[in-house]
Amino acid sequence: MRRAIPAVLLSATGLVMVWQFEPAAPAVASPSSAHAGDATVTGTREAIRQGTVQVQVVFSGTRIADVVVLQAPDTGPTRHALPLLREMTLRAQSAQIDTVTGATMTSQAYRSSLQAAIDGRGSR
Amino acid sequence: MKWVEHIMGFPVSVDLRDSTPRLAEEVDRAFAWLHEVDLRFSPFRADSEVCRLDRGELGPDQVSTDLRHVLALCELYERRSGGAFRARLPDRHLDPCAVVKGWAVQHAADTLRAAGARRFCINAGGDVIASGEPVPGDPWLVGVRHPDRPQELCAVLAVRDQAVATSANYERGGHIVDGRTGHPAHGLLSITIVAPDLITADTTATAAFAMGAEGPAWAAAEPRCQVFAVDASRRVFCSSGLPMAWG
Repeated sequence: MRRAIPAVLLSATGLVMVWQFEPAAPAVASPSSAHAGDATVTGTREAIRQGTVQVQVVFSGTRIADVVVLQAPDTGPTRHALPLLREMTLRAQSAQIDTVTGATMTSQAYRSSLQAAIDGRGSR
Repeated sequence: MKWVEHIMGFPVSVDLRDSTPRLAEEVDRAFAWLHEVDLRFSPFRADSEVCRLDRGELGPDQVSTDLRHVLALCELYERRSGGAFRARLPDRHLDPCAVVKGWAVQHAADTLRAAGARRFCINAGGDVIASGEPVPGDPWLVGVRHPDRPQELCAVLAVRDQAVATSANYERGGHIVDGRTGHPAHGLLSITIVAPDLITADTTATAAFAMGAEGPAWAAAEPRCQVFAVDASRRVFCSSGLPMAWG
């Protein structure tokens, strides 16, 4: 099961760390055939410079249905980054996208890719 | 109107929204240009200009203007990345692919634009040029492939008149080498760069991936580059100006 553990770091370049994936579980069934049902996973409490962050992720099968912020400092970049995490996670899975960026897609990998599905459908 | 052709070993998709028969012909010309680039610059074709230069069959004054330009871009990014990116690794053949792709596709887009096309999106093996808007008032929505799950996205970017390139090793396993060590790059799972043109986006993404852990901060400091990166610990980094789609 995937967890999202957000933490926030600021570098001189304005680069912000927004969250952390759990490594993909091996041999997970495809999303449509998953029978995992709903599950709620609570992330660990992460101490960051501005305070403590803890989130809860609600899964529907293998898809993220919601991200709940249980605890977060109300200052600095965290206030901005946590809603961003929630929005990004939810929208990335539901957005009607126009194209997909990913490292050099071989012609073989293309056949089963999201991009091939997009190329095959009409314009939105 | 949509097109897909397989060139240089990857698919190239064109989504043209302001479609007229004349512009459709321009798209055909753009594909012809990419096929020509493949013949001239492929390090995998023994008779290509790149291979002939590599074997010493071409003197410095016989190199075409295009190849000279590509080699100059390679040198520029070798310098900027402190040697992490290299077109010619020790004991290996000249391979300017990382620069050729961005340069060739950007040239194709520039030609389309010069012919009057305004609203189009080109995806060349996962590298994107998004021109104008798909429908008036909306940005192009560019999904970023999840580094672990090919069928899922980990972010969506909203872009207009920008290029997006991603460098990772999930499809050609370890093909990006850190030129400073000669070993496959590690430290990042994937890095995505948004920039005004694909030459900048592509070369910055490749160089930053080759650098490893310090790549995202380096790329974020490059002029007019926005960064989305997932490191080997699966931490996600964004530059604060990244055009995320959520509204």
